[in-house]
Amino acid sequence: MTQATARPLTPYGFLLPALLVTATVILYPVAQTIVFSLQDYLLYAPDDARFVGARNFLAVLKDEVFWISLRHSAVWVGGIVFAQLALGLVAALLLNQSFWWRGLARALVIIPWALPSVIIGLMWTWIFDFNTGVLNDVLMRIGIIDQPQAWLAGPRSALACVMLALVWQGFPFFAIMILAGLQTVPKELYEAAEIDGASAFRQFVHVTAPAIAGIVATAVLLRIIWVANSLDVILVMTGGGPGYATHTLPLYAFLRAYSGMEFGYAAALALMLTVLLLAIVWLYVRRQAKELDA
Amino acid sequence: MKRRTFVKLAGASALAGGLSAPSIAQGVATVRWWYHYDNPQNTPAALVAKFEQANPGIKIQAEAIPWGGGTDYINRMFSSVVAGNQPDCAMVRLAYLSRFSQMRALEPLDGHLANWAGRSDISDDVWKLNRAPDGKQYYMPLHYVVIYLYYRQDLFQQAGLQPPKTFDEFLACAKALTKDGMFGYGMRGGGGCHDNWGPFVLGGGASFEKGGMVSAKALAANRFFVEFATKHKVVPPSAPTDAFRQIVDGFKAGRTAMTIHHIGSSAEMVAALGDKASAVPLPRGPGGGGWTYFGDESNAIFASSKVKEAAFRWISFLSGAGNVEQAQLSGQLPITTSGGRNWTGHPKRFVDASFASLPIAQTLPDHVKTPDFVGRVLPTNLQRALVGETNPDEVMKAVEQLFHG
Repeated sequence: MTQATARPLTPYGFLLPALLVTATVILYPVAQTIVFSLQDYLLYAPDDARFVGARNFLAVLKDEVFWISLRHSAVWVGGIVFAQLALGLVAALLLNQSFWWRGLARALVIIPWALPSVIIGLMWTWIFDFNTGVLNDVLMRIGIIDQPQAWLAGPRSALACVMLALVWQGFPFFAIMILAGLQTVPKELYEAAEIDGASAFRQFVHVTAPAIAGIVATAVLLRIIWVANSLDVILVMTGGGPGYATHTLPLYAFLRAYSGMEFGYAAALALMLTVLLLAIVWLYVRRQAKELDA
Repeated sequence: MKRRTFVKLAGASALAGGLSAPSIAQGVATVRWWYHYDNPQNTPAALVAKFEQANPGIKIQAEAIPWGGGTDYINRMFSSVVAGNQPDCAMVRLAYLSRFSQMRALEPLDGHLANWAGRSDISDDVWKLNRAPDGKQYYMPLHYVVIYLYYRQDLFQQAGLQPPKTFDEFLACAKALTKDGMFGYGMRGGGGCHDNWGPFVLGGGASFEKGGMVSAKALAANRFFVEFATKHKVVPPSAPTDAFRQIVDGFKAGRTAMTIHHIGSSAEMVAALGDKASAVPLPRGPGGGGWTYFGDESNAIFASSKVKEAAFRWISFLSGAGNVEQAQLSGQLPITTSGGRNWTGHPKRFVDASFASLPIAQTLPDHVKTPDFVGRVLPTNLQRALVGETNPDEVMKAVEQLFHG
């Protein structure tokens, strides 16, 4: 092979290792999940698995718990990503100000993000605990409640409590991403706006927001996918209960897979979630493409 | 199962671990063993060292696997079997046997057991209980617990109450002791709730036979149990999701006057409450029937193991010479008759309550659906009933549906 013919192939050579790793750890499991979803595959009877076509998907659509979990997933993703974004934005704007302990504050804010999910789940479980939890103690001391509340055992409060834990864990990601974006905004733009008489709010709307919009959009997309898939904190804090009160789609798929060992049914549930997430990714990519064309 | 079946046989098991074991081929055989102890700080290192010293050709790689109410442990176990990464041997329970059998995952131990001198130090009833439907013996019994009722002796005396012997007495005691921020009964509605639900519902007339969950008697028994939370309010509001840690801590903190668990938690109960904590067998139902969970624990060798002889030598050591020490680590009761006779690992009143509970002690059904019953179907449906989202009868219909379609 001459140098002239080898040169066009060089980029593919560099890409090959990454493509092979992706195919091995992502494409192969996805393909296997699709195959499982078309079978009545039970983990304890793998030799008895047979092809059932779309029967698992039809059963999922008739499953009450699927619809409950889907509804919870929508609340879960929407609520958490919105709250994390809002908190992250506020934190980033504060951390972008000049104050003497800013370096320490930037280091401290990353702590929740750096903690393992299981630790966060356990920590918040004990904060919300009925008997010994600090939340009940504080709220009773300041007179907001007059007797301890079973936060994680209440069907109306359990999901919100678990969401709060995940909001706390994830907002530093937005804070750091947005802070990085804020630091790329030229100071001259703010000076010019100030000379034009723009208030702090108008500076935020017309200078800051457009400058960080791209980063925020990317961060939101990533968080939607991560939050939609996350189940570890729920598993630790409530196991999905009480009843189905904290069931989300990935948790339900996990329980069907590992408690019932119904891998075929669980694979169908997981694929439904994947399709929903792909739709979100597709919408985002289309929006980005339009912006590039404009 | 009667107490005498556990204590009648004197044996030579203290010596059995090293006797009559098959020879190990030259070189070091490494045995991977999965275990779990209620107290994760306990380690079998000393036990392993003792065994390795007596068996220089064998190295034990003991791996602690989180129990997680049973669900974590069993999930990892079956996943490892499917992935082909299972250990050589592991602690197992009878409720898993059907699934293991279907997967042909376990090695029959009959050949090894025929030559094992320690066999006679374990009751024949236990061997029968552990036998698989195909007549083979895959499980080596290890230790056991029986679920009983913890109660606060001091509070009962102050209130002029006797420990309850019937369901009605239990409810009366729970009502009398629910006051001033304390609840009569620390119910477990979260992971592992079958051991609280079973005594009242299975003991009250429900069964795992076809139709056994939806008979009039079964439905009434389940309603009686659910009404502890929904009608009588004698359980903490957190009961629907309270699991092992919460019920034990609630009792230790003086927030509950009765709770249901086994001897494994007695050490921390006594550390927190001293003589105020005591135990009795669970109350009986209206017809005199009763049920409590026999928490069996055995070891099994996986069919895929390349070091089966070494693995058998290890598990037979744990059920023989090392059984008392192993039971101390697990916080449970030794399975050997000789070990049980001289057992001093727990205060006597808890050992007595365990033995006195044996006549009504039963295992969960050996069925492929049992782990799903324990891990998902019972907790989710029971919790919905406990928080008033569904009619209690829906719990029983769901369980019936799971086992019988």
